[in-house]
Amino acid sequence: MAPEFLYWLQDVFAYLRVARERRRLRQPGHGFDYTRDRDTVHRIVSRIHPQRMRLRVVEVVQQTPTSKTFRLERTDGPLPPFRPGQYVNLFVDVDGVLTSRPYSIASRPGSPYLELTVRDKPGGFVAPYLLSQIEAGDELESSGPAGHFYHEPLIDGNDLVFLAGGSGITPFMSIIRDALHNNRPLQIHLLYGSRSPDDVIYGEELAELAARHPNFRYTLVISEPPPGYEGLTGFLDADRIREQVGDVRGKTFYICGPAVMYDFCTTALERLGVPPHRIRRELYGPPDDVTKEPGWPEGLAADTLFEVEVVGRGTVRAMAGEPLLNTLERYGFLVPALCRSGACSACRLRLLSGRVFSPAHATPREADRLYGYIHACVSYPLEDLRIRLP
Amino acid sequence: MTEKYDAVVVGAGLGGLSAATMLARNGLRVLLLERHNIPGGYATSFVRGRYEFEVALHELSGIGPPERRGGLYRYLEYLGVADRVEFLTVPHLYRSVFPNLDVTLPMGREPFEARLCETFPHEARGIRRFLKRVFDLGQDFGRVVRQRGAVHPLTMPFRFPHLFRYLPTTWGQVLNRDVRDPLARAVISQYWGYVGLPPSRISFLYFAVTLAAYVLRGAAFPRGRSQALSNAFLATFEELGGESRFNCPVRRILTENGRVVGVVTEEGEEVQTNWVVSNADPITTCRDLIGVDKVPSSFFANLQSSEIAPSTVNVYLGVARSPEALGLAEHEIFINSDPDFDRHYEAMQALGPVPAIALTCYNIVYPEVSPPGTSVVVLTALSYGQPWYDVPPEAYVETKNRVAEAMIQLAERVAPGLREHAEVVEVSTPITNMRYAGTMGGSIYGFNQPPRDNMVWRMGHRGPVEGLYFVGAWTRPGGGFEPCVMSGQMAAGAILHRIKKEREGA
Repeated sequence: MAPEFLYWLQDVFAYLRVARERRRLRQPGHGFDYTRDRDTVHRIVSRIHPQRMRLRVVEVVQQTPTSKTFRLERTDGPLPPFRPGQYVNLFVDVDGVLTSRPYSIASRPGSPYLELTVRDKPGGFVAPYLLSQIEAGDELESSGPAGHFYHEPLIDGNDLVFLAGGSGITPFMSIIRDALHNNRPLQIHLLYGSRSPDDVIYGEELAELAARHPNFRYTLVISEPPPGYEGLTGFLDADRIREQVGDVRGKTFYICGPAVMYDFCTTALERLGVPPHRIRRELYGPPDDVTKEPGWPEGLAADTLFEVEVVGRGTVRAMAGEPLLNTLERYGFLVPALCRSGACSACRLRLLSGRVFSPAHATPREADRLYGYIHACVSYPLEDLRIRLP
Repeated sequence: MTEKYDAVVVGAGLGGLSAATMLARNGLRVLLLERHNIPGGYATSFVRGRYEFEVALHELSGIGPPERRGGLYRYLEYLGVADRVEFLTVPHLYRSVFPNLDVTLPMGREPFEARLCETFPHEARGIRRFLKRVFDLGQDFGRVVRQRGAVHPLTMPFRFPHLFRYLPTTWGQVLNRDVRDPLARAVISQYWGYVGLPPSRISFLYFAVTLAAYVLRGAAFPRGRSQALSNAFLATFEELGGESRFNCPVRRILTENGRVVGVVTEEGEEVQTNWVVSNADPITTCRDLIGVDKVPSSFFANLQSSEIAPSTVNVYLGVARSPEALGLAEHEIFINSDPDFDRHYEAMQALGPVPAIALTCYNIVYPEVSPPGTSVVVLTALSYGQPWYDVPPEAYVETKNRVAEAMIQLAERVAPGLREHAEVVEVSTPITNMRYAGTMGGSIYGFNQPPRDNMVWRMGHRGPVEGLYFVGAWTRPGGGFEPCVMSGQMAAGAILHRIKKEREGA
């Protein structure tokens, strides 16, 4: 070991080395030239996560008496990658109200178009508009692909059971099409619950895929069968799942359908011994009737009106039974939105005073709860409010 | 009509929040603009299912126990932020795992030294000698910081001999003289992930100050995750009269005759101001927001010697098992496939195998971080942004999952069953960091800190045009939660000083 004093000299001489290194790198043609590029971050990120996409309708297909399939191409760039099962939030202008709704992508990645299937919804606002107004050639705008309902090979294994209800078939369609097209090593069993045979979306394609691919099974269960119907009938309950799926061990279950289906199927799966971490659920928007949610104050009617002061921007009248986000949109406020189901926090805003109701599936951050931030898409006024847009 | 503010802060990361609050605390009318919908930058969290994940914070330095508060805590107290946050204490410094060694290092100088010496008895003398250098330098640095003001270069060798001596050296250069055993070197240097470069490249000053800060005052974690700290900053700022706008990207910073005169938002709104504090990275600030032609060319020439620091791949796991059932008892576990950190550094520049990860189990410091019987486990690997730039979009998911797969396999060496019981998994990459924080390369530490760009010699806060100041990891003192907050204090302090001078002059 050299004497300390030699080390000391070495350390002090390092000043020269550092100075030389700096000088060399700062000469023209050396080091890092940060002036060459522009908007690097945006350019790199938007290839994978475009914030907005301009879309043109290339084809509209009547799927069932109450649903249509829209095929859309992107006009402002190539379609970004997405995970089969993800959605886009479609921005629309319905009679002067700028709003949006998330729709699962039914096509597979690599397809030249995005396919969205929309079913009419009684009392709906956007679905009736899309079904009655949108034709081939029309232009629309959407978010980039988003969402977390997909097969995750890191932890999900490859033995999958899909429980679909009604129009909840759409994300599964993308997963199934992708898996079979790319010969992914997955075993997929789809149990599809539908009210009547007429309502079945993608029925023919599913039957055909199941006939061609031994690793894909398709079971249709009809809850309101017409006279003489010969297939399986009833609901996706524990007995039906056990009969169709057999041993649940090693399998991962995915649920997408109307709100009532989640509790129903989750209970069924728990009864069959499926551990909670083997169950994946798609988000499902605000409840159809919030007054029936557990915890809703007794006696408060959905049409009760409250005043909501948007600080610095004016006061609006809000109905107890309508999500605050929808109210704000009706009054012309632009509030960013994405999942519209309480999870993504895009519509996060500050509640300065007053109380709101949020159904159990709203998931604000812990620190946001502490500071009074709410997710407007699943917040319902219970009294007069003061809020601040971010 | 355009509005006018005393100062506009661009970006609500920790540097921006800190500067904005400091300026508002001193009576300025401040506007804080942020493109995202939430404050904090990387100091944030996100929710998946029944789990809420800390995005970035592993261990917070500068808080200290109540009887010995650190610099960060005292500053937060001055601003009025400290009372709003509860700081939990991380029980251990770190656990370091190698194929043939598994050692947990405690907090506190004596216990830390003792554990190292008993693990490597043949190196005990060298280890003590080396750590003395580390803590001596830490003391010198603390004195420099406290004296507030420039050190005269001629008196520095006498007043701050350790600082003078080690300013131009790398950590490895000093360590390798005192300690021979490669494994002992690796265990002592285990925090290199917190400073971004391996021992052979990292500034001795930066690493020593970082290690000393953690060993001497311990590490903390805010209840509610780092979002609680960010929200506390914003609430304090607003209480002090500050105004903020979120979902509001800045498109241009306006200059006139080499001086900042205002900013223009994405929506085309113009705001007048004489002082702009940019929490955006200096490259984006000067190239994209101001314009290369409006910045003296020496600025970019000087930047040629500054290298963008690494980014991260994070695997966020919500696991339906308790930490005990997973065999996790420490907050921060470094899992290494070998002690060759230079090789690990090479691996950061490609998308090949992952040689090392940090595994953080937040339930250890914060048991309520997830529902009873579950755990939040985050795996972190350093990775440069550049290799990810070239991944074709259609191969992105596959690529990130390949990297994540390797990381989970490494993690299962200490936590078997992690994958089997995982309920939620989310993988972030340098692209994710770029997406949410808008930083070049998704850098987590701004510019790297080799000796030539160490805490003293790296870019200052004063920008190349009058009235422009930089905050965040890219400036002094550098990357990390505490340094970013301090950068805001330093930049705001400089602005306040100049305003005072101008007033006195007038």
